[in-house]
Amino acid sequence: MLRYQENNELHMDFHGTTNATLEYIADKYGVEALEMILRRTGSRVYKSIHDKLAAGDASELIEHLNWFFNREKGRYNLSVSPEKIVFEVLECPAIRHLRKLGMEPSEHVCLQTRCVNEGMCENTMWRASLEIIGEGHCIQSFKKEL
Amino acid sequence: MIPSDHFVRFYNEVFKFLDEKNDLEAYYLHISRHQEFHCLELFRDKGVAGIYEYYLKIRKEENCDMEMELKEHEFSFFMRKCPSLSKAIDNDAGVCPKYCLHCSGWLLPLLTKAGLYVIYDMMAPDDPRCRMRIFDDLEVAKEAQKDLTGFSDAIRCNF
Repeated sequence: MLRYQENNELHMDFHGTTNATLEYIADKYGVEALEMILRRTGSRVYKSIHDKLAAGDASELIEHLNWFFNREKGRYNLSVSPEKIVFEVLECPAIRHLRKLGMEPSEHVCLQTRCVNEGMCENTMWRASLEIIGEGHCIQSFKKEL
Repeated sequence: MIPSDHFVRFYNEVFKFLDEKNDLEAYYLHISRHQEFHCLELFRDKGVAGIYEYYLKIRKEENCDMEMELKEHEFSFFMRKCPSLSKAIDNDAGVCPKYCLHCSGWLLPLLTKAGLYVIYDMMAPDDPRCRMRIFDDLEVAKEAQKDLTGFSDAIRCNF
């Protein structure tokens, strides 16, 4: 069950504010500071997902990926096995919306994914990794280390 | 991707970081310049009617529980339940005590650039309610300011 399960209207322009925020923090405080904030978001905001991963339960993470990418009409493939979750994003809704607004995606835009996922997995038996295939196309993996 | 539904909880983490650096005001100005992209032309060209148009979209997309009123020289709203602060509070990471300040932080400089005058009452930082009155006439705004019963830290004006 999701800790946060919004199901009403969407304000997609928030992706623009996220983009501007990534630029501000990285330019003023460096990429390491930005990574730290994003990891904290992963471990603290998504504490429920984090705590379940720590207990070996990936169910909320899987539900989270499905729920929010469906809400934002992202195209993706998800494969789940007991030891590995592979989430291939074929069209990222955030980048699609930035382009729709006429905005250039920040060079740090994919750090959101990498660092939030790492934060969710911090101090658990799961390891997150991210492979960028192209703009708006990535493979997010979560592997259980036995 | 941080879902747009969860942006405010990320924003809340950014505020905590920047508050430690004493850098919230400069960040708000950065966001204000970004918001010019969405709003400045609308606010400049249509005045208080443009603000009304903007908040019609915000009320729907951000799921605000708010009353709005448009008069000849004034737009006003009363936010019965702010979805932004509500999400920041309903958050395992905990709310930044200065969360509400971002709203006046980006909006007031933008309204000033648009030639509009605002009285913004944040009410209380842990209560997701607020009210705002925006005018296109400085004298009308000054008259409204006289009606304020108590001028507290929770009230912001750009005149």
